[in-house]
Amino acid sequence: MTQLKNVFKLIGLYFKVNLASALEYRSSFLMQVFGMALSNGTFVFFWWIAFAQIGGRIGGYDFNDVMFIWALTSTAFGAAHILFANMNRLTRLIISGELDTFLLQPKDILVSLLCSKTSLSAWGDFLYGFILIALTQGNSVMVWLMFLLGVVTGGLLITAICVTAHTFTFYLGDASLIGNMALEFVINFCIYPEGIYRGFIRVLMLSVIPTSFIVHIPLKLARSFNPLLLVVLLTVSFFYCFLAYKFFYRGLKRYESGNLLITRL
Amino acid sequence: MKNIKKYLTVLRISLQNAFVYRSNAIGGLVFYSLFIFVFFNLWRAIYQGGEAAGYSLTQMVWYLCMTELIVFGCKNGIYNEMNEDVKSGSIAYQLMRPYHYVFYQFFNALGSMFFNLIIYGVLAVVLGLIMVGPIPNFRLSLLPWGLCSVILGMVINFFMMMTLGLTAFKLEDNLAFFLIYQKLVFMLGMFIPVEFLPKWLQGIAHWLPFSYVAWAPAKLIVAFSWEFFWQVIPIQIFWAILSLMLALGMYSYGVRSLQAHGG
Amino acid sequence: MSIIEIRNLNKLYRTRVKEEGLKASFQALVRPVYTEVQAVKDISFTVERGEICAFIGPNGAGKSTTIKMLTGILHPTSGEISVLGFNPAKQRQKLSYHIGTVFGQKSQLWFHLPPTDSFTLLGAIYDLDKSTLKKRVDELTECFELGDLLKIPVRKLSLGQRIRCEVAASLLHSPEILFLDEPTIGLDVVVKQRIRELILRMNHEDGTTIFLTSHDTGDVEQVCKRAIVINQGQIILDQPIKKLKYDYLNKKIITVRFNLEQHLDAPIGVRVEKTGNLGACLSVDTRLISIDEAMRWLIAQGGVADITVQDPPMEEIISTIYTTKAVVV
Repeated sequence: MTQLKNVFKLIGLYFKVNLASALEYRSSFLMQVFGMALSNGTFVFFWWIAFAQIGGRIGGYDFNDVMFIWALTSTAFGAAHILFANMNRLTRLIISGELDTFLLQPKDILVSLLCSKTSLSAWGDFLYGFILIALTQGNSVMVWLMFLLGVVTGGLLITAICVTAHTFTFYLGDASLIGNMALEFVINFCIYPEGIYRGFIRVLMLSVIPTSFIVHIPLKLARSFNPLLLVVLLTVSFFYCFLAYKFFYRGLKRYESGNLLITRL
Repeated sequence: MKNIKKYLTVLRISLQNAFVYRSNAIGGLVFYSLFIFVFFNLWRAIYQGGEAAGYSLTQMVWYLCMTELIVFGCKNGIYNEMNEDVKSGSIAYQLMRPYHYVFYQFFNALGSMFFNLIIYGVLAVVLGLIMVGPIPNFRLSLLPWGLCSVILGMVINFFMMMTLGLTAFKLEDNLAFFLIYQKLVFMLGMFIPVEFLPKWLQGIAHWLPFSYVAWAPAKLIVAFSWEFFWQVIPIQIFWAILSLMLALGMYSYGVRSLQAHGG
Repeated sequence: MSIIEIRNLNKLYRTRVKEEGLKASFQALVRPVYTEVQAVKDISFTVERGEICAFIGPNGAGKSTTIKMLTGILHPTSGEISVLGFNPAKQRQKLSYHIGTVFGQKSQLWFHLPPTDSFTLLGAIYDLDKSTLKKRVDELTECFELGDLLKIPVRKLSLGQRIRCEVAASLLHSPEILFLDEPTIGLDVVVKQRIRELILRMNHEDGTTIFLTSHDTGDVEQVCKRAIVINQGQIILDQPIKKLKYDYLNKKIITVRFNLEQHLDAPIGVRVEKTGNLGACLSVDTRLISIDEAMRWLIAQGGVADITVQDPPMEEIISTIYTTKAVVV
């Protein structure tokens, strides 16, 4: 338990330094936040047109449902990238030997590594989701609760998926493509109703790329709460994070053996 | 004549270069397939009610294959490159070289555009055939005319992005402009055909360049008609020339201020 | 007890080899071929508390590999390491509170922030409480003459200033041992000198044990009291710097250019290695003749247009060690 507390403390520390670093470039910061929120806005436009043309439901979702998963994806993604922006650069950090710095410090390596960078534009994504929820979902307490819960579990899941993908660098030499693909797949499966997919993809979304747990299940919970489903969601999220964490540390052993280092010489 | 030869050499080198970065190419192909697959699923769900705005599901999927082809084909980071060249000041070195920077970059990009057009083109055809089968009433003899429009769309897109990249001369933060441009292209054609938009917006879209990047060429491929061809090609040529002028103007303006103030 | 003890340390890298081309890529996927590279071969040495010890050798000799094993970044293939009584491979985290590291080209400072902010973060990482940290920062600021530098974003500091902050950052938690990997690489002579002085001062004032790697003989001569020379993964020499200096760092290379043709009649201790029609390359044996004398003789020849004095390259010193080792031992 104290270990977990320490992790939170560490995340908090890095968050402060990161924010200070970001604010060094205030105008750029605001611009990126604005740009990101705007660029997300175009998708609302798309759905508005789609529902205007077809009406009713698409893939079992109505307009508000789609807005909920959009908002959740955006904010969860934003939160993950505000706190753990290095998740996308893991491969580069591993290959260029920048893990050394963190290995020499007495704190958890994966956490320090993930936290030591922030993304400016992620603030735009983060705020955008809140605005969208406020505009489309009214003020149902359950919706807000499940949204906030989803931001936590979703953010963790996105991070865990990314870490898992990039950890392959320890085994394959360069997994940046796998890492980028993982993120791209996650986003694309998150932002559409799960009902548009069939069979195999649905299985995928509940297993290897657990996007259903990131957005679709929180939506279900927001619409009709079910304690059992909540337990499943929490269990899966934490289990997935645990696996990613373990997998990373297993890969790290290969780094410590140095066999990875020499390949880049 | 000698001048053209110079730029053709640039084109050839960049084409060779495109072949070297295989892993980039693989990544692009995967993402392209992913997007098309996702859109296919999405539109299949949307089309459960039947036909919409004159496009059948088959046409719609092919339409998206084409618009993504144009966007992916141009995806050579010209905006980022310009932006960095200007911001890092390395553009100053380009001034000393015996070529025109704008044309150099164009021919340089042309290599990867050709390359992308071919590999994504093949992929588009394969994906389209697997998912929805051939385009109804498609005639191969008309394809070259459609491709003319595709290339014009890419040229407009290229010079627009270049102009936006070159605004870095004056604006510290020009990213927002780029994002706005990109989203306008997305909304006014790439994601959804212009016919889907509300009437008033359609009217506006016809007067703006954004729809002529993706919508016009994609429509020509999936539902060719000579009437539409003669309607859009002149407009595309007009926008291609205008965007080139914009890029040239922005460049010479930037160079002048660079020489005056030392960047 | 010695502060660092290494016994029969070996490091073997196993690396996958792949031929050029796509076909070979597939083959490598199915049946990978490995080669082994022995980076460190059976080395043993100890370092005492308060020592300043240099670990020198040409590029690729195994210096970095060894220092990485000492700090726990890399795990040894075989052999024993004890640093402050810890096994770095197994107790890296515990060890990290007691050691500091400066890796020449890797920064622990945040590029866009003033060093103070990085210091605060590092203080928290090493669990220093606020008052301890403040006291320590004040001490280091004075010692390293950091003053206003602490408030300037790192990106605006010169390389020399940055390295000074970098060394200070690694000393925040008052480590007992400081590992420096190529600390002066890329710095100019004056700044190099400054860093060397600081290292010496650290050693005197706090009694910090210092272990540094370098391929710059200047670092070694002026800072260290003992040198371990490593080449191709093996220790080829381990002796006090005075002896090393006398035995091997006894040569200077003088390159000279004349205005008019000269016939050089070298005194004892100076050897003419090469002559062109308007220039020459001389080696000076500093045991027999001082640099001062040698230069005076050279100037006296008249018509000197240009002159440079250099240390012989590391590689040459190493080959001298090999050829004379039989005699010395």
